[in-house]
Amino acid sequence: MKIEFSSLEESAASFILSDVSIAFANALRRAMTSEVMAFAIEDVKIYDNTSALFDEILTHRLGLIPLVTDPDNFVPRSQCSCDGTGCPRCTVTLTMSVEGPCVVMSGDLVSQDAFVQPAEDKIPIVKLEKSQKVVIEAQAYMERGIEHAKWSPVTVCGYKNYPAITHDERCDGCGLCVEVCPKDILQVKGSVIGVKDGVLELCSLCRLCELACLNSGIGNEPAIHIGMDERKFLFTVESAGALPTVGIIKHGLLFLKNHSDELHEALSEIRG
Amino acid sequence: MIPVRCFTCGKVISTVYEEYKRRRDANEDPKKILDDLGLDRYCCRRMLLTHKEIIDELNPYQ
Repeated sequence: MKIEFSSLEESAASFILSDVSIAFANALRRAMTSEVMAFAIEDVKIYDNTSALFDEILTHRLGLIPLVTDPDNFVPRSQCSCDGTGCPRCTVTLTMSVEGPCVVMSGDLVSQDAFVQPAEDKIPIVKLEKSQKVVIEAQAYMERGIEHAKWSPVTVCGYKNYPAITHDERCDGCGLCVEVCPKDILQVKGSVIGVKDGVLELCSLCRLCELACLNSGIGNEPAIHIGMDERKFLFTVESAGALPTVGIIKHGLLFLKNHSDELHEALSEIRG
Repeated sequence: MIPVRCFTCGKVISTVYEEYKRRRDANEDPKKILDDLGLDRYCCRRMLLTHKEIIDELNPYQ
């Protein structure tokens, strides 16, 4: 397995994963979306809510706020020694007490933990008029994205095969495929077709160029061929804010490693 | 209130709504505002484009 980053920021990353099977690439994608743990608000005690929003809507909005997660210093509630009742090892309490007129922002949440904080301070929760009040106490804990999308650390997480564009000797450089390409990556080089420098990865494998080539009356087979590398994938990962993209990729890979180790052990036990 | 996240992809879009509203009311082209705010996908763009703020209409009926 080889990973080559083409861009890497806290909030978004794209990389080329090569020398792996399609099954592995998809396993990594699924691990990142639904198995990497992140903090989110789950239980809310409402002491006072005289705003125009119902309690349920208020809590739903609170749940969707991404919280910065520190997976190394907390344990998932399902594996915690407190048996799911909530303790400082697995749960973070956030409180909020606001009186209008104002717009309640995610920055108004006061977390008991210095690290687990709302990822963004400017998420509006509810607009309060004069004398309206919101007083709440919320409990947040780590869970997997498979339970609810609010616990998923990623927004966009996907891959596509690495494109391979070739042409055969029948290509006469007529340029019909250049015109139809929606990504504008083809050009006529001399008397044949070629890909512009550095834009091959933009190809969406739509095959409009093959169609245009066929329509030029070249025969039953187009002269341009859109293929793909079966062991090379272009990944895009975007973070929701709970974890940096590097952390998401790292924990996704760790999850796969731990699970394959478990499977390996189980198989060795059966074999005796 | 503007939804916290995009319904489709889950990106947090509510943070940019204030700026979007301010610039839209100043008659700026929505396409340019959305491009500036870094909303590339059409799922996130429609969240702002099609939002109708009704919290001020609900407030009197507390």
